[in-house]
Amino acid sequence: MPGELIDRIVSYTSGISRFSDARFMSVGSKGIAYRNGEFEGMESSETSGYAIRMVNESMAFAYTDSEDWADIKAKIDLLLPKTRRQGKNRISETDPVRASWKVDQKKKIEDMSVEERIEIARGHDRLLDDLGATVRMNFIGDKKILQSYRDSGGTAIDAEISRVSYYYVFGVFENGQFEQSTGQFGSTSGYEYLDSLKLEDRLRSEVKALRENLSAPSLKPGKYDLIVGPEISGIVAHESCGHPTEYDRIIGREGALAGESFLTGKEFPYRVGSDAVSIIDDPTMPMSYGFYEYDDEGIRARKRYLYRKGYTDEFILNRESAAILGVEPNGGGRSSSWNMEPLARMSTTYIEPGDHEIEELFEGVKSGVYMKSFTEWNIDDIRFNEKYVGKESYLVENGQIKGRVRRPTLETNTIKFYSSIDAVARDLEFTAGSCGKGEPMQGVDVWMGGPHARLRDIYLK
Amino acid sequence: METIDRIYEKLSRMGMDEIVINGVSSDTEQLRFSNNSKDLLNQWYEIEYSVFAARGKRMAEVTLKSENEVDAKLEELRHMIERVPENPSFFGINPKKETYGHVGVGEVADIDLQDLCESAINGATDAGAERSAGFAYLVKFRHTLRTSYNEANYNSGGTELVIRSFLRSSTGQESIHFGPAFRTGSIDAESIGRSAGDMAVSGKDVSQGDEGKFTVLMSPYLIGNIISSSSEFLSYYSVDSAMSCFAGKLGFSVSSDSFTLVDDPLDMSGVGFRPFDDEGTPTRRNAFIEKGVLKKYMQSYSTGKKAGTESTGNAGVIAPSAWQMRIEPGTRSFRDILSEVKDGLFINNTWYTRYQDYRNGVFSTVPRDGVFRVKNGEIVGSVSGIRISDSVPAILKNVAEVSKEIKNTKWWEEIQPSMMPYVRVNGVNISRSF
Repeated sequence: MPGELIDRIVSYTSGISRFSDARFMSVGSKGIAYRNGEFEGMESSETSGYAIRMVNESMAFAYTDSEDWADIKAKIDLLLPKTRRQGKNRISETDPVRASWKVDQKKKIEDMSVEERIEIARGHDRLLDDLGATVRMNFIGDKKILQSYRDSGGTAIDAEISRVSYYYVFGVFENGQFEQSTGQFGSTSGYEYLDSLKLEDRLRSEVKALRENLSAPSLKPGKYDLIVGPEISGIVAHESCGHPTEYDRIIGREGALAGESFLTGKEFPYRVGSDAVSIIDDPTMPMSYGFYEYDDEGIRARKRYLYRKGYTDEFILNRESAAILGVEPNGGGRSSSWNMEPLARMSTTYIEPGDHEIEELFEGVKSGVYMKSFTEWNIDDIRFNEKYVGKESYLVENGQIKGRVRRPTLETNTIKFYSSIDAVARDLEFTAGSCGKGEPMQGVDVWMGGPHARLRDIYLK
Repeated sequence: METIDRIYEKLSRMGMDEIVINGVSSDTEQLRFSNNSKDLLNQWYEIEYSVFAARGKRMAEVTLKSENEVDAKLEELRHMIERVPENPSFFGINPKKETYGHVGVGEVADIDLQDLCESAINGATDAGAERSAGFAYLVKFRHTLRTSYNEANYNSGGTELVIRSFLRSSTGQESIHFGPAFRTGSIDAESIGRSAGDMAVSGKDVSQGDEGKFTVLMSPYLIGNIISSSSEFLSYYSVDSAMSCFAGKLGFSVSSDSFTLVDDPLDMSGVGFRPFDDEGTPTRRNAFIEKGVLKKYMQSYSTGKKAGTESTGNAGVIAPSAWQMRIEPGTRSFRDILSEVKDGLFINNTWYTRYQDYRNGVFSTVPRDGVFRVKNGEIVGSVSGIRISDSVPAILKNVAEVSKEIKNTKWWEEIQPSMMPYVRVNGVNISRSF
């Protein structure tokens, strides 16, 4: 049976290394795609294997998909001398924990027929076609993950996880003008999540917004009050709070790739914004796309305040970065598959809701912009200089919405963004994403979100 | 591989019309470093089989890893094919019996990654860098293909070295690949590190950049990023999907006449080397943009049929893609081109290229690792806080000159294996943060 060698692996590596752990993971995934009214095909993949880590004078991983003990032992024996060469070798060793956990599904992915999956994608393609979207792509996917973790300290964790995702790209094209929209949704659950999404309503609203954008005016550059919707607060929380508080970035371990952090070299707590700003990363939020009870290094997951009332608070840590910081790991070690190293990663990152009604945010605005959703975005490698281009966006005058505006652009920096926030609403909404990091690049499933929030006097163009 | 034969025989007995099995076994070593010392050594041993099958226009794909999974996964494949709708855009796989050149690649040479990385770090430190981060790969692949019409195999792989050097907040990066033709001892890692260190040292005094239209001298990493991110627009799949800024422009001028863009997967100096595509069509050098004119799109057999043309050897069975792009070099050196920039920017690298409009190729990308102000041919300072906010068609139309130097660039998801020169582009739109 796949995965049954894991205890034997750790028993062996414990005798030849200062610390060792092993993770078995199998990922079974299915996906289908519809493009412009045509079925693209169906794909099913099965991948599994062992990640074996040994720490002596330095750290090393061997990843193998073999289920033959003699073969695995030979790979371990090849790895051993490489851990005898000098390098970094600090890793947090914790008290032993034994646990197992499982994601409940109401509408199990195992029970979803090929026809049911197809009908979901085909239905949305038809709807978009009826609404006048000239370009349409719909993707539906799910995966079932079985995972076991063991370490030389006696920790043993077993998990069974199911995730469902939906992704679309569509566009409207008229008179040489094009407007496009992408949407990504996902949940750690069964297919009941898609039923709860009200995707049809969302698609109707999005197509309407794009069509009206085609003839909407551009924004006159200048300073405005800005109200952002949950999709914007989510991407901002992810990009300019979640990433810069990954501690491996702060200490330079991702320096050549995802980069470092504007927090590198700072004294903590460091002021990042107004008192109204608190941002949380919480792997334990039920049904969230990044949900887990134990991370991929056998550490119990828990909620973390990354920014609290305008200051840095806690960092995202895996075993390695926790040891360097000199604190206990906080359950942030994640990897996308059996053949990827666990890094300090986000789960569900969101701006904490405040105590305002959404209407109250608008009431105080004389001249402003409401940026409900975004299209293009990017941010520099220390997560400071950032850009968000509005998709569904409106002018606001004297507290009232006054028609659409096309692709307003916020190009600012992290401190200015968070320092400009003076009010945060009570609502809370999430979208899904695949967060990229590491080498080889590994995308882990995350949620991001937040409430509506109001920024004062910020430059838009 | 016996497993491939077993998969093939079983699918044949199931009555599949078209079969494509790609088996890849890999033996890969990676060493990561930061702050001038080794972080981690990773060693991968993997075998994976991608299996595509079609009955008429109904098709499905499974991926499996071991002999044990064959029966269950192929049953699942049959189950899917019996239930999925037809794909009207599927016209089969390459049915021609092919012969392949350039398949006799010897084994990839061994190399000590720790020595390689230490040499690069020392080079950067000698140049004045405070610290360096990066990684190196030694990759050995064995590819085996069996389709309904062809069988073939080849070895590939090579070495990659990425180093990013820091002096305070200033950075410089080099990211180079060496294909299966490289030999042990032929990689001058110290020089690569020194180049990253020099770039970091050059940019240590930084000021806020300005908005406006600038002449930009783009390094191989920057133009490589733009070409990589936009290469899918040259795929007929994107054109057919109406999601390409090159749609409807076949035979028309899409860039200045000093610009020729080819895909050359037979160049063994790079890790993008491959002698045949995913459905067994021999690969070849294809000029997609030649002296400014869009000559063809990337095609598989099926997309070629739909478009009324031939495969270019770029399958992906569903979506054709580039293997190893190259901008053909010019005749003058980078230094000569730089010396004639009256007022502009030299940018070494960008990342995070994102599109707000695929149809018109409108994007922005964030400079990093060397962003310099140039006046009267001299670098006069370093800037930050800016972004290239422009479009692919405008960038290509405004290419003014291409250097004779070429670098084998590849970095993360941003730059595919490619061979890129320095390129001077006029009138590039630069935006900034406020």
